[in-house]
Amino acid sequence: MSILADVANQAEAHRRFVEEQVRRARQEPDFRKEVQKTFESLRTAAGSITTPTGLKLPRLALPQTDDPGEMARYLFGEGPPGGFPFVNAAYPEMYLEKSGSKHAEEPTRLFAGLGLAEDTNRRFHVLTRYQNTKRLSTAFDGPTLYGLDSDAGGVLGKIGEGGVAIDTIEDMERLYAGFALDDPLFSVSMTINAPAPIILAMYVAAAKQRFGKGIIGGLRGTIQADILKEVQAQNEIIFPLEASLKFLTDMVEYTTRQMPRWYPISISGYHIAEAGATPVQQAAYTLSNGFTYVELFRRRGLDVNQFGPRLSFFLDCGLDLEYLALARVCRKLWAIGMRDVFGAGPRAQLFRLHTQTSGRSLIAHLFKNNLTRTSIELMLACINATNSCHSNSADEPFTTPSEEYVQLAAQAQAILLEETGLFRFMTNVLSGSPGMKIVEKAVEEGILGEFGQIDQLGGVLAAIEQRYQRSQIQAAAHLYEQQIYGGVRPIIGLNRYADAEEKPHDVHVVRTPRRRKQLQIDRLEKFKKKNREKSKRALDELARVVEEGGNVFEQLIQTVEVCSLGQITERLAEIVGKYRPTV
Amino acid sequence: MKNPHPPIRILTAVPICDGHDSAINTINLELIRHGIEIIYLGYHRPARDIVRAAIQEDVRAIGISSYNGGHVEFFSEIIDLLRKSGSGHIGVFGGGGGTITKADAAAMQKGGVDRIFFAGTPLDLIMKFIAEHYGKPQKRLALGPIRDGFHSERQIAALLTAAVEDMRGRGSEILHPSSKVHTRTIGFTGPGGVGKTTLIDEIVLRYLDAFPKSRIAILSHDPSIVGRGALLGDRASMIYSQDNRVFMRSLASRGQPGGVAQGTDRCLQVLKHVKPHGHSGEFDLILVETVGIGQEAVPFQKEWVDQTVMVMGPDYGSRLQLQKIAMLDLADIVVVNKSDLAGAKTASLEIEQRLEASDQKPEIVSTIAKHHRDPGVDRLFRFLMKK
Repeated sequence: MSILADVANQAEAHRRFVEEQVRRARQEPDFRKEVQKTFESLRTAAGSITTPTGLKLPRLALPQTDDPGEMARYLFGEGPPGGFPFVNAAYPEMYLEKSGSKHAEEPTRLFAGLGLAEDTNRRFHVLTRYQNTKRLSTAFDGPTLYGLDSDAGGVLGKIGEGGVAIDTIEDMERLYAGFALDDPLFSVSMTINAPAPIILAMYVAAAKQRFGKGIIGGLRGTIQADILKEVQAQNEIIFPLEASLKFLTDMVEYTTRQMPRWYPISISGYHIAEAGATPVQQAAYTLSNGFTYVELFRRRGLDVNQFGPRLSFFLDCGLDLEYLALARVCRKLWAIGMRDVFGAGPRAQLFRLHTQTSGRSLIAHLFKNNLTRTSIELMLACINATNSCHSNSADEPFTTPSEEYVQLAAQAQAILLEETGLFRFMTNVLSGSPGMKIVEKAVEEGILGEFGQIDQLGGVLAAIEQRYQRSQIQAAAHLYEQQIYGGVRPIIGLNRYADAEEKPHDVHVVRTPRRRKQLQIDRLEKFKKKNREKSKRALDELARVVEEGGNVFEQLIQTVEVCSLGQITERLAEIVGKYRPTV
Repeated sequence: MKNPHPPIRILTAVPICDGHDSAINTINLELIRHGIEIIYLGYHRPARDIVRAAIQEDVRAIGISSYNGGHVEFFSEIIDLLRKSGSGHIGVFGGGGGTITKADAAAMQKGGVDRIFFAGTPLDLIMKFIAEHYGKPQKRLALGPIRDGFHSERQIAALLTAAVEDMRGRGSEILHPSSKVHTRTIGFTGPGGVGKTTLIDEIVLRYLDAFPKSRIAILSHDPSIVGRGALLGDRASMIYSQDNRVFMRSLASRGQPGGVAQGTDRCLQVLKHVKPHGHSGEFDLILVETVGIGQEAVPFQKEWVDQTVMVMGPDYGSRLQLQKIAMLDLADIVVVNKSDLAGAKTASLEIEQRLEASDQKPEIVSTIAKHHRDPGVDRLFRFLMKK
């Protein structure tokens, strides 16, 4: 029996526990009094607010009921915002306007990465010009994502496309130049997976060179590093899965002990959904991958209460009805699994969620309709109390987002959270409708059903080997396409009202010029030449650590000082082999 | 029996540094539904691997699905490599995400790409284009002179096509079989899903390392789907076999039962006698992989192969089932792969007992082919090289 069966059993035990509390609240006078008191104190503690139109409202919306049974069902089954099992929200106040103070942090997370390191660096400085908090979200180009150097055969066209080209520690220095890396208002996010340990090692080494060894404990940020979803959906993999997981665990072990402010993994359903998974599959695979990591890190001897609070999640939010409640169910199942299977304390029970609106739901024809699609998805994400959000730009189906549409996307969030009255006065304002609860229940059953399937195959890793998740995702993707072409799934402008005329859009595509690409290659050659002798020794030393089973990440922090990304992946692949794709 | 309309063969792939395979998977399925045989290379594939495979597989066209940018350079690299190797007759089409602008598409089509499809193109349109452009039987290309008895990859590929489609006369005009065969041929068979492909790829890796000047040929079979085409996907997971020293050909079973195809014997004749360009003589090693077989199947005829490897997984069912597997009486080596799985110990023991009853007395090797540098595969390699 795998860990997933335990989680499913605990979810069932929790359901029975809630029913028992409901019964007791209705039948046992003492318990009833206690429940009523708790319920009432929630209301009082939340306080009230007067809206600009003069309406006086409680800051927390609670179910309107006199039935102590229903009160107990709410308290134990859903939990108030910030209370176990966190169905309503991870934290008590979420999007509520803080009285008296300007909000401390802008909600925007702008994903950037283009050309060479200094190009992206310039973009970062422009984007954060007027922001207090500097949250840099970094996209890498194809060669970097696959652990290749810019001088590798056949990658010339890919240098600096769709993200920044990073080959060496020198590129990493240029990338974040001019930012105070240990400032509490600064953090960096890196969307990279297979080479994540090498890239993070470059970041740490570059920070050390600039600020001294003392900075390591103060570094703040997130690296995606979710290799399981790569194997299931996104296909950016370098080494065999077992070796990849070993390198990842080495990195998590290091950050857990040395970098307490770092989020070393962002467990991602986004790419699973974009590859075609249904919402239930997205949630089920993301959660089951998450539990697999927890088991892995624990087996390494790490304390779940130490690394648990540094796990975060990343989900897609599309237009399907499931998204009305998807994140609510995820928070609940994660909390139950962490508490009741892994014995985690409150901080490690939280499903910290970053949401991105669905890229797949956007289409090129009549592309301004994408503004509407994204807005609705944003609203669904906020109804689900996501902790942060990225909204896509309407022009993404045909180009790298232009500044105009990036701004519209970012301000859509501000309009929703700051301008409308929906979320800023009252938490829970849209939670708990009958329809939402029905969807919630169906989604939960679906997820637990998937857990059962995966468990029968021997758990997540065994299921991956049998290509289970991949073929499920592919089948769902195929069905989706058929539904579009068959018209069962209406897409405005594609299979409905498709004849509407549209002026051809003026597309300005940002591409890295040939001479810039050449500059990247020239710099790399210089770096390699300069370190020719040292790199040989460093790679041998790295190889020794790998062969002996030591902590590879710790060693990498030294290796990256004199070796390029491509040199390192090549040497590692010689030892642990290459990833063998399954189609 | 001559087939008047052999299926169209098309190679599909996703470019280097690009993992977006959702669109190509859907298109592959649709192409197969239309009776086309797809040789699928998978994602993150360099242009040289794609072109090498297209030539070896003698396909009508290459279809590329690109989402990560760099498409202008990538497509032109493909066209360049095709032309340089005298294979400009292979068509190139493609499509992908919004990063391909109208201007890019125009430039790519001017540079020799037959057609670029934009996101949102109905699948029917793509199918129609393929039927119109690549559906007609191709004009036979001259094979060109055979220099000093050596064959280019394109020539070997054309001979194999002739062998599969049984176009007699075409092969014999350039093929002069010497009486003595110098090539060692090893056949791999076994039920579906036991890891034959991975095992062969690991053998290839070891052979290429051990014999730095050697050349290998691989003949790989995959099943056709009844009434439809086939997905020939072995190349996607055979990472070490995409190498200039390896010539690989994928064959669809085309309704032939028993694990191989109708032209398998003729293909083997071709591979045993051709001398690849740049080599000292014939191929040094030929590896044949069958379709996943049933209990009664005996896919290789005696003269086809020098050695037979029967690959098993630990989950064959009960001990009784072992009695019914014909290949266990005929194989030279029996491999129990996936020996890390539960039940593998018992399986090895039961198979050993079963083999005691057979006359052949084959070697038994336990392997975990998916592990890099697996000692079991090392052992298998030594057995294979012993004779």
